[in-house]
Amino acid sequence: MMDIERSDIDPAMAVIRCRGRLNMVAAPALRACIEQSVDEGHTRVVVDLARTSFIDSSGLGSLIGGLKKARQAGGSLRIAEATDQVLNVLRLTNLDRVLRPHVTVEEASRGW
Amino acid sequence: MVGEPAVYVVEGVAVPNSLDLLHDLMDRVGVDHPDVQNEDLSMLETAVIEIAGNLIEHGRPSGCVDYRLRLDVLSDRLEGLLADSGEPLPITVLDGSAPDPLSEDGRGILIAQAVLDELVYERTEHANTWRMVRRRR
Repeated sequence: MMDIERSDIDPAMAVIRCRGRLNMVAAPALRACIEQSVDEGHTRVVVDLARTSFIDSSGLGSLIGGLKKARQAGGSLRIAEATDQVLNVLRLTNLDRVLRPHVTVEEASRGW
Repeated sequence: MVGEPAVYVVEGVAVPNSLDLLHDLMDRVGVDHPDVQNEDLSMLETAVIEIAGNLIEHGRPSGCVDYRLRLDVLSDRLEGLLADSGEPLPITVLDGSAPDPLSEDGRGILIAQAVLDELVYERTEHANTWRMVRRRR
């Protein structure tokens, strides 16, 4: 199970916190949350993965889909505070070049 | 339990909620075997969830495929054997080549291969089997 919570930081930016396992069961909900955020004008999206204990290819797909959606709207998507398993999977798939892991949400929130 | 070989089994119908059972099994192995490195266990878990996810998504007849995962904790390796009663998998599902960087799918087998030392698919008369080996670091 995964809890997904969105906080709108300013009119253009939102932080989405994911707690739990980001697998094929949870990925559609994250995708929908990101899409709604972008549709409502929060096109700069930071996904806080501090409490995401696990990610699989479906979870990665939802982040990539969200990145594309945000870019199409003139924004972007960043990830922050990824745990070891998430960092490993990002590195092994070379997706750390597309979704560069930020150390903190605060760092990810600066310099868009 | 520390240092002793152990066998774990979980089985059922391959549906999305099965993934929680597999995750929970891995958590239990970690509690039972604190000597197993977290990274070894989490990388095997990554492979198991990818292969099981493929089965849930592509296994036919959809929603009616039985699976059985046997997990062995051995002194030198962790070994998973996932068997299912489904039809033979189409060749496209077995493709482990890297997709476009902005592709949203097609990475499951690639990830499983990357986190394991051995990944072998076999089709027997009535089952698909995946042997997944992660050598202990």
